[in-house]
Amino acid sequence: MSVFWSSLGFGVVTASILAIAAVGFTLQFGATNIFNLAYGDTMTAAAFVGYLVTRAHLGLWAAMLAGGAFGGIFSVVLNRAVYAPFIRRGTRLFGMIIVSIAVSLILSNGLQAIWGANFYSLAITPGRSLRFGPFIMTTVQLVIIAIAIAIMLAVHLLLRHTRLGRAMRATANNATLARNCGIRTDLVIDMVWLLSGILCGIGGVALVANITSFDFGTGGQFIVLILTAAVLGGVGQPYGAMIGALVIGLATEVSAAIFSPEYKELTAFAILVVILLIRPLGILSEVAQQKEVVVA
Amino acid sequence: MKRTSVLAKMSIACALGLAVAACGSSGPSSNGQGGGSLVFAEFNPFSGPDAAFGPEMLVACDAASNAINAAGGVLGHKTTCKGFDTHGDPADAVAAANQMIATTSNLAGVIGPSSDEALATVPILDRAHIPMFADTGQAAFDHATQKFFWRISPADDVKGFAMAIWAHSLGYTRGAAVYGNDVGSQSNVPTLVHAFTALGGTMVSNQSIALDQPSYRTEVASMLAAHPQVIFTEEDPATAATYLSEVAQLNGGKLIPVVGTETTLEANWVQAVVRAVGGSLLKKYQVGVQPYAPPSGPAYGPFRSALYASKAASQSNLAVYSTDPYAMGYWDSVNLMALAMIAAKSTDPAKYNSFITAVSNPGPGKVVVSTFAAGAHALAAGKQIQYVGASGPAVFNKWHNSTGAFEVAGYVSAGNIHLDGVVTAAQIAAISGK
Repeated sequence: MSVFWSSLGFGVVTASILAIAAVGFTLQFGATNIFNLAYGDTMTAAAFVGYLVTRAHLGLWAAMLAGGAFGGIFSVVLNRAVYAPFIRRGTRLFGMIIVSIAVSLILSNGLQAIWGANFYSLAITPGRSLRFGPFIMTTVQLVIIAIAIAIMLAVHLLLRHTRLGRAMRATANNATLARNCGIRTDLVIDMVWLLSGILCGIGGVALVANITSFDFGTGGQFIVLILTAAVLGGVGQPYGAMIGALVIGLATEVSAAIFSPEYKELTAFAILVVILLIRPLGILSEVAQQKEVVVA
Repeated sequence: MKRTSVLAKMSIACALGLAVAACGSSGPSSNGQGGGSLVFAEFNPFSGPDAAFGPEMLVACDAASNAINAAGGVLGHKTTCKGFDTHGDPADAVAAANQMIATTSNLAGVIGPSSDEALATVPILDRAHIPMFADTGQAAFDHATQKFFWRISPADDVKGFAMAIWAHSLGYTRGAAVYGNDVGSQSNVPTLVHAFTALGGTMVSNQSIALDQPSYRTEVASMLAAHPQVIFTEEDPATAATYLSEVAQLNGGKLIPVVGTETTLEANWVQAVVRAVGGSLLKKYQVGVQPYAPPSGPAYGPFRSALYASKAASQSNLAVYSTDPYAMGYWDSVNLMALAMIAAKSTDPAKYNSFITAVSNPGPGKVVVSTFAAGAHALAAGKQIQYVGASGPAVFNKWHNSTGAFEVAGYVSAGNIHLDGVVTAAQIAAISGK
């Protein structure tokens, strides 16, 4: 029984990392409808930036800032240099998925070429293990949870109480209408890529801080869980991604306690399948029928 | 026009992606020689979770190939090595195998496949009449019927016996089996559990864990709750690093004694785990069981020298490879194939295959040689030889398997291990009946 309760606490840690990444992914998808499968590899690249920062003895906070900054700038450049030209020339939704797969391959293999098939760890200590009732967490994990909560609140405030947030939601709903209403959708899209990239970068650093050892493929492996959380919550819906992350984070850990660790991923996929069965349109059919990629 | 432009751009993007990916899928060749050179292919993962396998194999082959060329080559041919990336995935590996066979006209032999892709690709290589020195440990090949299949390293199921025997010798009676849910890792478990139980122990926890998860804290908590005295383990480096660091976090900063497979002594595993838990904890708590190949003897010196002459790996990786029985096995595999060609007086894989046991197995009147150069010289003089290389004697049975003793070694520092003991073939036979 105590393992069960502990698993809930462990699930919150996983959910926190997942939430940071999934909200970034879904924010970007919600506004641009680009299914960016290079997201996980961008997380890895940001993690390497964080690694370099911690090697310079600047600590976890600086690593997250640097990782976030890298992720934001890289994502804006990625959109402007690669994705946007394709969209302007008429590449549609599914074509863009293929483009993002190509970008993912380039990034992943580029990282392998630079860093080799070696493993790296952030130069930080996980800190003391603290016990809160049945829950045990390290100080680094508490930091990750705190950052995730802060980010979720910030995203909520941004979307609900700022002009940019309203412009982002308007662009996500109908980019043409938003543009006709005077919204600079090109700037909004840039801001969306910047924000989602920042979350991607912070998520990458948080992920490798938790798993302790990473290589060029780490983020790419995490993308499956990110997609699952994003789809579960309703892709393009930041609040849905938060809920999705929490459900997936808790479900994978609790399933490891109740059933078998072998079925962690299976549990995540089973939840995804059930959700898609309940909502028959599903992610791809909805996107294909009702939405198209947005560049400006 | 616009459509053409978009298509062109998409093609370029895809081509770029595939081109960069291809850096791994058709790996680098050594020596820079093509044309008439005989090619030894390293058919293993160069990317994916087991991406560390291929580079080690390529470096060891490169070292052997250079030594062969320095000794005059094989029947007038130079040799070279070329990596083919299986991505550690059976589906990708089938395509890679077909591509390798179709595009490598002077393919002389293969090192690999690994457990990741052996079941899918051994039949393909066998049908193509290409001798393969597989590094798979799968028990499915204990009684291999494929004529061109050779295994110089012991099967995984035998390793399970050795691990249980070692833990029993230290007085451990409560064990936890923590293995990745991949085929290669899982093949160790049945014999481990069987042997540990037969020796009077109890496997208090048996976890098959999903690889590369962001956390294993629930699994660790569950395992710790069963109060094991020893953890038996094999999983990929990233998984092991996360799992063991969380064991330390939830166990007051300490690990539980770990008895791992030879994977836990490999360069990338050690690197990942040392960076996660620190070298001192690993040194104190972990040993790995691997085929017995002491870093000494007449064959070891030439192997080590040739390995260090390679420019294809970092010094720290070379240090680890130089004591790794698998690297020694790759070196020996190339030498055995090259010597078999000379014994057969043919570089045709279909012909020299049946001469491999002629240069490996013991026999009356045979001259024992420890290098390719010595073997080639003896064969040229009309003598029969038994090649005993850096990894020790390779005595193949009728299923082309060679099994010997196991050593138990622990991490000291990068490239340095200490020998804790040896589990003999007789001890294994006593409990396994093999």
